[in-house]
Amino acid sequence: MTSKLRTERFVWLDIMLTLLTLELMAYFYYGARAVFLGCVCVSVSVAAEIVSLRFMGKNFTADDLTCTSDALILSLMLPAVVDYRIAGIGCLFGVIAAKNIFGGRANMIFSPAAAAYLFMITSWKNQVLQFTEPHVHTGITERASGLVSSASHNFNLTGKLNFTDFELLMGNFPGAAGAVSLLLLIVAALILLFRRDISAGAFIGSIAGTVFMAKLVPAAADTSQSVKYTLAMNMVLFASIYIVSDRRIAPKRDYFAFFYGLFIAVTAYLLVVTDAKENAIVLVSVLFTPVSLGLKNLEKRIDLAIAEQEKQAEEAEVTEEQQDEALAQAQLILSGEEAQDDE
Amino acid sequence: MFLITDLIALLAANLILTQALGTSTLFIAAGSRKHLLGTALVITIFTTVGSGLAYIVHHLLPEQYADFTLLCYTLIIGVIYVLLLAACYYIGGERFEKYRRYIHISAYNCAVMGTLFTITEKSHMYINYGTLISWVEFGLRAGAGFVIAAFILTAAYRKLNSAKVPSSFRGFPAMLVYLGIISMAIYALK
Amino acid sequence: MNNRRSTVFDGLLGDNTVLSALMVISPVIMCGDTLRNAEALILAFSAITFASVVICSLVPKKLPYAVKIILYAIISSLVYVPVKFLAQEFYPGIITRIGIYFPLLAVNSLIVVQTETKFFRMKKMRMIPSLIFYILGFDIVMLLTAVIRELLAYGTINSRVADLDTLISGLGMPFGGFIFLGLMCGAYRRLRAVFMRRSEERRGSNVSDN
Repeated sequence: MTSKLRTERFVWLDIMLTLLTLELMAYFYYGARAVFLGCVCVSVSVAAEIVSLRFMGKNFTADDLTCTSDALILSLMLPAVVDYRIAGIGCLFGVIAAKNIFGGRANMIFSPAAAAYLFMITSWKNQVLQFTEPHVHTGITERASGLVSSASHNFNLTGKLNFTDFELLMGNFPGAAGAVSLLLLIVAALILLFRRDISAGAFIGSIAGTVFMAKLVPAAADTSQSVKYTLAMNMVLFASIYIVSDRRIAPKRDYFAFFYGLFIAVTAYLLVVTDAKENAIVLVSVLFTPVSLGLKNLEKRIDLAIAEQEKQAEEAEVTEEQQDEALAQAQLILSGEEAQDDE
Repeated sequence: MFLITDLIALLAANLILTQALGTSTLFIAAGSRKHLLGTALVITIFTTVGSGLAYIVHHLLPEQYADFTLLCYTLIIGVIYVLLLAACYYIGGERFEKYRRYIHISAYNCAVMGTLFTITEKSHMYINYGTLISWVEFGLRAGAGFVIAAFILTAAYRKLNSAKVPSSFRGFPAMLVYLGIISMAIYALK
Repeated sequence: MNNRRSTVFDGLLGDNTVLSALMVISPVIMCGDTLRNAEALILAFSAITFASVVICSLVPKKLPYAVKIILYAIISSLVYVPVKFLAQEFYPGIITRIGIYFPLLAVNSLIVVQTETKFFRMKKMRMIPSLIFYILGFDIVMLLTAVIRELLAYGTINSRVADLDTLISGLGMPFGGFIFLGLMCGAYRRLRAVFMRRSEERRGSNVSDN
């Protein structure tokens, strides 16, 4: 149990480090407002966590700080200029309705960040999907102006993008504050994968599904462009790392997790191609929660069956050993009797 | 690929997750996984056969008696209810006692009645709901939607009733919030 | 005396129609987003349910269960006709606003299920007040839900603009109804548990005093 807790803490620390790096990049592109938004989300989440834990009759411990990573994930999916109140309500929803009502971190069903993002997108679509251009620094208390649609939106509608590969890698295009820095996201993915902080199966499945679909049904003029743009747009990489591959949500076995990630990616891609649905991967990941739960139930059954088999095998071994011992004793007795006869 | 597209369409048209029709029945049936699937299957029979019969009533009933549509639909469900019970009695034999509860739960509820009224409403708005087949198909889809909703709830059943869930939210309240979040994802899908 | 009273008030507090038994939740989720809808639904539900249950109590108890249920549904479908007529007369536009949820009130669980399992097991003098409180239980929840959802989702109360800066439009959607009702259900259960604990403590202290 202690080692499990330690592992959880290290996972949270690693994820926080990668998220803070993304936050730094957001600061570079959008100024102090992006960082302040992150701070607002984290503070509201911590406050909500403390209050809701009190209602549940529990104390807030260091392990409950995992809510901060969910808050940062959410803040990085939003435009830096989004209304703080909206972000706060989103965080409240994520912590209370999507997490603590179901028992908190011990009984996770949904990714709080994904559910909160979905709630925000259904309630304040225009505010959540309108961005400032990169390098436009809006003051902390300033009202944003000159808002534009994201590059993903334009790509979904036209299948074209006017950005160089370097700009794409660096995240120099309109979009969510932290979900666009592709180079950093690739590095973050590698670190988290090597440190086993995210589900490798789900991540590989998600990327494989996207690449497969981008090749099969190209969304751009040619296949290579289709693969490149599809991975870069609609938060595919960001969501694949922090939402789809979330160890708390994805199935434990890599084999099952791979198919979970694959199906999410395929469905999300189809929604992007047929419906031009922006950031479809986030909504599909919430929609696939029952699939993940079903696979987890299956895993439990398999584990139980294996445990049962092992127990039976052990019992069989024990009886074999007992038989061997009995045989040896019988032989000893026989040899003793023979010796007596000889005498 | 087409299967996924079809599944998305089926989810988007799901009467429980988009119109909350039959939620109470789903929760009553949610007492156990076995009941959930049993009820879902019987409801599918009710919605499919009911839609077919409702089509006939809808076309035979003069417009000035439109207020009696509910009465006619109630009679239709009543007929199916009795026929299903009789069939269950003769075919099920000793298992009649076990199975009849699914029929009792499934007969008069918002899932079945709601399907009949939704298709009636749609037939006033869209031309493609003008044939018997389209009505029966709609009934079948509504039943399939209930089955999907049942599966969605079954998958999370253990977690929603776990001792880890706060006692005031354990069971039904957690189920409502869970269905709400799934419903939200479906709404975003549209 | 105390026991009898708690049974009569059950539908309102101890065993609320919507929050405890989760009956008739579809109209609350779908139409409980504005006070106007709530008002219309409350009137229709109260009239249909009260009249239907009272008339249904005249159905012979010896009939088979399925036959009785069919008869109850037929009676409520018949009660629906004059209620609809009256609604059209006094509240024009009500039917279109509520849509299919208006006829669906006629086959609500209170009429089809609770009659057999609860109301008809009581004596008539006890059944009627109990039924009234069950109906009131629905009405109050519907009203509360509608007021809060309308205020937070549309920034109005009974179509009059209230001064709210941030609106949560999702609360006006069906999914908002599901989530809000789930939260209300949890809050209700918690309050009920607290009240029950207190009354038990009080009863305990009374016994020890005696």
